[in-house]
Amino acid sequence: MKLRIGLFLLFTAACSFAIAAKADLDYARLRASLNDLAADPVLGQLAPAERALADQSVQALIDSSGKERAHLLYLAERRVDIAYATAQAIDQERRLDKLDREHDQILLAASRRDAEQARLEAEKQRIQSLAQAEEAERLRAEADAARAQGEQNAQDAENARREAAQTKRLADAQAKEAALSRKEAQLLAEAAAADGRAAPAAARDTTAPARMTIEDAAFSPGLPTLRADARANIARVVAFVNKQPSKPVRIEGYSDKGGSTADSRALSQKRAEAVRDALIAAGVEARRITAVGLGEAQPVAANTSEAGRAKNRRVEVVLENR
Amino acid sequence: MTLMPAKIYRPVAVLCVLLAACGPTKPPPMGLEDASARLQAARDAGASTYAPLEVRSAEERLSAARAAAGKGDYDVAIQFAQESRANSDLAQAKSRLGKAREKVEARTRENAQLREDLGGNADAGAPGP
Repeated sequence: MKLRIGLFLLFTAACSFAIAAKADLDYARLRASLNDLAADPVLGQLAPAERALADQSVQALIDSSGKERAHLLYLAERRVDIAYATAQAIDQERRLDKLDREHDQILLAASRRDAEQARLEAEKQRIQSLAQAEEAERLRAEADAARAQGEQNAQDAENARREAAQTKRLADAQAKEAALSRKEAQLLAEAAAADGRAAPAAARDTTAPARMTIEDAAFSPGLPTLRADARANIARVVAFVNKQPSKPVRIEGYSDKGGSTADSRALSQKRAEAVRDALIAAGVEARRITAVGLGEAQPVAANTSEAGRAKNRRVEVVLENR
Repeated sequence: MTLMPAKIYRPVAVLCVLLAACGPTKPPPMGLEDASARLQAARDAGASTYAPLEVRSAEERLSAARAAAGKGDYDVAIQFAQESRANSDLAQAKSRLGKAREKVEARTRENAQLREDLGGNADAGAPGP
């Protein structure tokens, strides 16, 4: 009998020990879970109220037993889960807040970038407008200059036309004068020939050396060559020099005061030589004749007018007295 | 005024005590209403989607609590009501967590898409942990 009682007591003690050990294991598991949550660097600072409730529920396991213990363990396990879930939810909500701020920052940065692009575009448009305005101003200035140049050219053309007309009128007048002079000389020569006397108007045989003037119209304009019609009348000059065949003949060429001195002298020299050649060709003895170009020397008229300059451009045939 | 004799007081007092003892007894507060309200709050928070197991446990324990209360087993009813309430609280917490996670994932994708659409050179930094 005593043995049975002893075995019963031993069995009862073993069961109590097993239950107590089980309780300790559950308590330790939940306590460790709560400690992990508290030690978590992120979650440990969150959901303090839920963690406190869970802590109380776990703590209640210590003095519990029987059916009540199973109930308290059930509650404690859920309170620990609630503490974890709440802490994680708060963490997620904080991340969401951060993402919302990032979202706003992205939109703000995009807005700033758009504003900067708009500003740059406006600046570009302004510069382009400025360049276009400058280009338009330049084109307008060029057009004004071209118009002014056109007007100047028209004026120059008009002046040239007037000058050409004036020159033509002058040339006509000179030609007419030369024709009249030739006609007069021819009449005098014919009269002298008919009378058997040698005293043409343009070649006076006095004590001073007799001279005969060949005018500028006898030559091609600006050239040393005699015109064709002047060659036909060279016989009058031949008659003049042959009237006194013993006297040497000096042919003097003159020019106006127009171009350079060298050119004037060269032209007058060549015209004198042209007359000399014509006389030689007409039978005058070459050794009697000397030709000299005196250029602008001894003008017979003022060089200020075209008529005066035409008179100065001449060749004089002189019968020297020695 | 004439006072009633003591032999009349005594039977009246005994009768009053007996009447009071034989009347209907009011059950103790078991938290059934509170458990029911918390279950409804969990459902309103979307717990049927995010924590269906916890919702079902809460419902089962609330039914058990009501059944125990109907049988007059108030202590058991109180325990079931407490367990139902704990399940409802857990379901609500998990619903909050599930919703927050979904929003975080959606916002993360949205920010990445926004960065890509804007050329990836926005000033905002990368998403944090």
